[in-house]
Amino acid sequence: MSKAKKTAIRLTLLASLVSSVSAMAADQVTFQLDWLPGGDKAPVYVGIQQGFFADEDLEVKIASGRGSTDALTKMATGQSDIGSSDIGALMAAKALDKVPVVAVYPYFTQAPHAFFVLKSSGITSIQDLKGKKVATSPFTSSNAFLPLILKQNGLSETDIQLVKSDPGALAPMMITGSTDAIIAWVTNTALYDAQAKGAGKELIEMPWSNSGLSLYSSSVLASEKFLTERPDVAKRFIKAFAKSIEFTYANPDQAGIDLHKMVPEVDASIVSAQIKSIYNLVYNDVTTQDGFGNFTDERIQKTWEYVAEANGLSKDALDPATAVNNNFKPE
Amino acid sequence: MNPTYQPNSWLAQQANRFAPALFFIGLVLLWELICRFGNVPNYILPSPSAIFMAFFDVEFSRWLTHLWATLRVALMGFVLSIVIAIPLSIGMMRSQLMNRVLYPALIVIQSTPVVAVAPLIIVLLGTDDPSRVLITCLITFFPLVVSTTTGMLETPPEMIELSQSLRAPRYRETWQIRIPYAIPHIFSGLRVSITLAIIGAVVAEFVAAEEGLGYFIQFSTSFFKIPQAFAGLIFLSIISLLLFKSIQWIQAWFFPWSLPKKK
Repeated sequence: MSKAKKTAIRLTLLASLVSSVSAMAADQVTFQLDWLPGGDKAPVYVGIQQGFFADEDLEVKIASGRGSTDALTKMATGQSDIGSSDIGALMAAKALDKVPVVAVYPYFTQAPHAFFVLKSSGITSIQDLKGKKVATSPFTSSNAFLPLILKQNGLSETDIQLVKSDPGALAPMMITGSTDAIIAWVTNTALYDAQAKGAGKELIEMPWSNSGLSLYSSSVLASEKFLTERPDVAKRFIKAFAKSIEFTYANPDQAGIDLHKMVPEVDASIVSAQIKSIYNLVYNDVTTQDGFGNFTDERIQKTWEYVAEANGLSKDALDPATAVNNNFKPE
Repeated sequence: MNPTYQPNSWLAQQANRFAPALFFIGLVLLWELICRFGNVPNYILPSPSAIFMAFFDVEFSRWLTHLWATLRVALMGFVLSIVIAIPLSIGMMRSQLMNRVLYPALIVIQSTPVVAVAPLIIVLLGTDDPSRVLITCLITFFPLVVSTTTGMLETPPEMIELSQSLRAPRYRETWQIRIPYAIPHIFSGLRVSITLAIIGAVVAEFVAAEEGLGYFIQFSTSFFKIPQAFAGLIFLSIISLLLFKSIQWIQAWFFPWSLPKKK
C-alpha cells in the first residue's frame, strides 16, 4: 500500500472519529409519546426531519407509549425526559401521588373528546342521545368527562345506554348499526370519515368542546429531574418543539411526509388529513385570546375543576398551579 | 365408516393423501366467498385476498425489521430460560432443601399472569431489550423446569443404584445417566416453550416497543388497517411453526435415539 493511500485511510478514520465524537456532543433527549405514532404526534417527527432539534444541538429519541398514564409513569421513572400526555391525567396523578412530572407547554388547548354519529341516525345534538346506545372504549380518558358533558346538556348517565368495546371496533359498530353513537377523540375523525364513506354513510362529529367542556388537554410534560438537572437542554427542546408544532400545522402535507419517513407504516396522506382535522384543538379562540404556548392560571384552575369532578377528587386535593412550570416556555 | 379407510381409485387416493391441505384450502376459499358475497367490510373481517394484498402494502425491509425484532426477543428469552431452567432443575433434583424452598416460589411466579406484571417490569427495567427478554423468559421457563425435573426423576432406579454401587461421582450420575434419560422430556418442554416464547415477545411488544410484529399489529389496528394486522398475525404463526419444527429437527439430528421408535 502506498504511503499516500495509508495517510488517506488514516485521515478518513480520524475524520470519522471526530465526527462521531461531535455527534455524541449533541444533547440527548428522549421524547415520550402517549400513544402510537399518528397525525397528532407529528410535531416531534417534523422537528427531527426539518432539523429544528439539530439546530438546537439536540438529538431526540422517540419512545411510543400506551396511554396517558403509561407515558406519565415513564417520565416519572426517568425512562423519558419529556413527552406529550394529557394534563388532566397529570393533575389526577399529582392529586393522588406526588408524581415528579410537570406541564411545561400547552399543545391541545381544547379537549379532543367527541361523540360521533351517522347522519342517517337523525341525531343532531347531545340532547338527542337520550335513550340511545353509546359505545366507548374501556380505558379512554373521555369516560371520566362523560358525566360532566351529559350534565351540561341536561342528561345523566342513566339516560343513555353505555357499552364498552375495543377502540378499533367502535367505528365498525356504529357503521353496522350495532350502536347509535360512539365516543372517541376527534383525532380519529379522518379515519372514521374514510370508513363511513366506504360504507356509503355520512359521519357527524360532535366535539364536547362545542358543548360546554372547555379545558386544556394534551400538553408537553417533563420530568422534574430533567428540568432541574438539564434546564438549558429543556429550554432548547421546548423552543424547537414550539417551532415544530407551528411548522406541522402550517404544512400538514410535509408533516405527513416527514412522519412517513421515520415510520414507514404510516400513510403520509392519512397523517396530513388527521392534522387538518385537529387544527382547532391546537389553534382556536383560546390561543387567539391567550396567545399560543401560554398556560393561563384561570384556565388551569378550570381544567383542574373539571378533572377533580370527573375523577371524584376533592377540589383541595391539588393546587393546580403546582402541575405547571411556566419558566421553560420560549421567549 | 371403516377407520382404516383404503381408497380404491387414483383420484380418491390423492384426495386422501392431500386431505389436510385440501381442508385448509377449502376453509380459505369459504372465508373468501363469505367476505365477497356477504359484503363483509375489511374492518370487520378482511378477506384472504385482502390480507394477501396487505403483505405488499408494507415494504419488505420493514417486514424483515419487525420479524427480526420479535424473533430476536423470543430467542433471547428462550435461551435465557434454558440457561436458568436446566441448572435449576438439576439443583432441585439433587437438593431436597432447594426443592422445598424454590418449588413454591416457582409456582407463584408461574401462576402470576405475566400480562399483568409486564407494565411493572417495564417500569423497573426500562423499555429496552432486557425487560422484553425477561417477560419472555418468565412465560417460557416454567414448562422447561417441570419437564426437565420430571425427566430426571424418571430415570430407572436400578441405573442409579448401579452407578452408586460403582461409586460413580454425583456429576457423572447427573450427566451420564439422569440427563440422557431426561432428554425426551426436555425436548417436549422445549417444544412448548418455544411457542410460548413468541407469545411472550408479543406481550412485551404490546407494552413497550418501537418495532416487532406485536407492535406492528397494535399499530395497524390503531389505523384500522385490519388486513395488515392479519398479515402480521400470519407471520407470527409462521415463525411459531418454524421454531417448533426446528426444535424437532434439532432433536432428530443430535439426539435421534431419544425419539419414540417408529412402528
